[in-house]
Amino acid sequence: MQLVAQIVLNGVLLGGFYACMALGFSIVWGVMNVVNLAYGSMIMIGAYVTQMAVLQLGLPLAAALPLAALATFTMGYVLQRALLNRLAERSVFMTLIFTFGLNMALINLNLILFSADVRSLPDVFGRASFTIAGLSVPYGRATIFAVAMAMTLGLHALLNWTPLGNAIKATSFDPDAARLSGIDVPHVYALTFAIGGAIAGVTGALVATSYSFSPLAGESYTMKAFVVVVLGGLGSIPGAIIGGMLLGIVENLASLFLDSGYRDAVGFTLLLLVLILRPRGLMGRRFFAEVKG
Amino acid sequence: MAASTLRARWGSGPWAGTLRSAAIGCVLMAILMVLPSFLSLYWLRLLTSVLMLAVIAQGMNAMAGFVGYPAFGNVVFFGIGAYGTALAIAAGFALGPALLFGAIPAGGLALAVGPLLLRLRGHYFAIATLGLNEVVSALAANLSGLTGGAAGLSLPLGAGTAGDAAQRAYVGFATLFAASLLLGIFLRDSRFGYGCRAIRSNEEAAEATGVPTLRVKSIAWMLSALLTAVAGGLYARWVGFIEPSLVFDMAISVKAFVMFLLGGAGTVFGPLIGALLIESATTLAWSHLLKLHLLVLGVTIMLVVLLLPDGAQGFVARHWPTVRDRLRRRS
Repeated sequence: MQLVAQIVLNGVLLGGFYACMALGFSIVWGVMNVVNLAYGSMIMIGAYVTQMAVLQLGLPLAAALPLAALATFTMGYVLQRALLNRLAERSVFMTLIFTFGLNMALINLNLILFSADVRSLPDVFGRASFTIAGLSVPYGRATIFAVAMAMTLGLHALLNWTPLGNAIKATSFDPDAARLSGIDVPHVYALTFAIGGAIAGVTGALVATSYSFSPLAGESYTMKAFVVVVLGGLGSIPGAIIGGMLLGIVENLASLFLDSGYRDAVGFTLLLLVLILRPRGLMGRRFFAEVKG
Repeated sequence: MAASTLRARWGSGPWAGTLRSAAIGCVLMAILMVLPSFLSLYWLRLLTSVLMLAVIAQGMNAMAGFVGYPAFGNVVFFGIGAYGTALAIAAGFALGPALLFGAIPAGGLALAVGPLLLRLRGHYFAIATLGLNEVVSALAANLSGLTGGAAGLSLPLGAGTAGDAAQRAYVGFATLFAASLLLGIFLRDSRFGYGCRAIRSNEEAAEATGVPTLRVKSIAWMLSALLTAVAGGLYARWVGFIEPSLVFDMAISVKAFVMFLLGGAGTVFGPLIGALLIESATTLAWSHLLKLHLLVLGVTIMLVVLLLPDGAQGFVARHWPTVRDRLRRRS
């Protein structure tokens, strides 16, 4: 019982991180109907920026994190404004292929700039942990969870309580009507991609604090973001949290009963089941999840 | 004189397009039959891999181009075909029957999960097929008793020299390529193919006019799976060693996708044109810019999508009239 409770707690902590990561993927998909297969590479770029800021510029982690977010924010804005906006009217699989090509190019650039070596930051939080109700919580995991939840709440506030959030939502419902009411649609699209990028950058910074990473490690994060978004439902923040925690808990439970080689397959089995039984996801809303293509 | 008579007899009527494609196909196959005697082993291998990719791209085209369902994870059938065939060969079967051990499970899987997954559209269908590939690939990597696990599976060597083996692989893939052309012509010109295209342009309308959409989609996916699985089986025999990360590699699917897109979606010869262009570009990148080959391929993909959204054939069709007018005016 104690063991199961500990596993569920680990799953929840990991799930918070998954939820935050998936939101950056989800917002781009929900608003522009673009599945960004280069998302994992953007996370890796965030991780590399963080590592360089800490090791070469000597910045504290709290300063490196916004720097990583800024780098991927800018990258996201430029990508959408210069390239992806041209594909806005095309069929869904054109953008899918396009971002796959982009991902290959980014992986190659990362390989040239940072080599294929697996890297990690010197362990910031060590192995220290505190205890709640007999369950141990490592400081590192708890910090990641807290930052991820703060990002999630921040995105919720941005989308619901600011003019920019209203513009993004209006554009996602009906780009033509948004244009008629004076919204600069290409700019809003670019900002949305940039926000998704910033979340990828923060995710990357969090990855750098506790996990090892390499240019090729990005793909598994893209896949996880996929699973979480489909589980929870496209464009739903509560959905992302529920989907993330579900995936975190299931993955941790599965490692108890199954060989560790099945870890990723368990997530995908869950994904197939949800797609077959409830294609809109557990918390998916109309409009956001509407397949436009 | 003779040409105009021919055109009068065959150039019009309901089967004109079919006959023209069949004639082009026959000429192509004749060239492919003569070509090996002029090629060195290196170029023979390259041509074999072009044919293999053209076949996989045609399998993708059958689903994504003709029916409009982006079966992104189609490489799962390639992997199943490779493993089924390899295991049957290891058990002592000849290549011909062994290919069935790859093709039948693949076609069966498409028919079994088709009715479930083909209710999804767009990205959701693409992701579901991707998930299917991940699950099957994980099974192949972990059921080590059967498949050899992540360490892979070695096949017993065939008879003869390396040159003989390369010749056999070439003949196998050329034959399969002919079958893939027949599938393309069938999907373009048959009643069944009209059903597929009706689904692509408007599924609700197709259903309303009496196309049994779910059945047509499932059968089209099964045909695509069979073609891809036989390609996987021939590949396993050709290279002699397979492992899950090699034959369930998503990059194969994506390459196939870009190829049929580049050649022209929903056309008979598009996959071959795309395979020739992309494979040449890849080979050039491998031999001259080894460190940049992913970058070159990635940027090529991005440029294809940005500049040639309707493929090379569409690009020519769009720009040929203007070019022709300009040439006429100058002369």
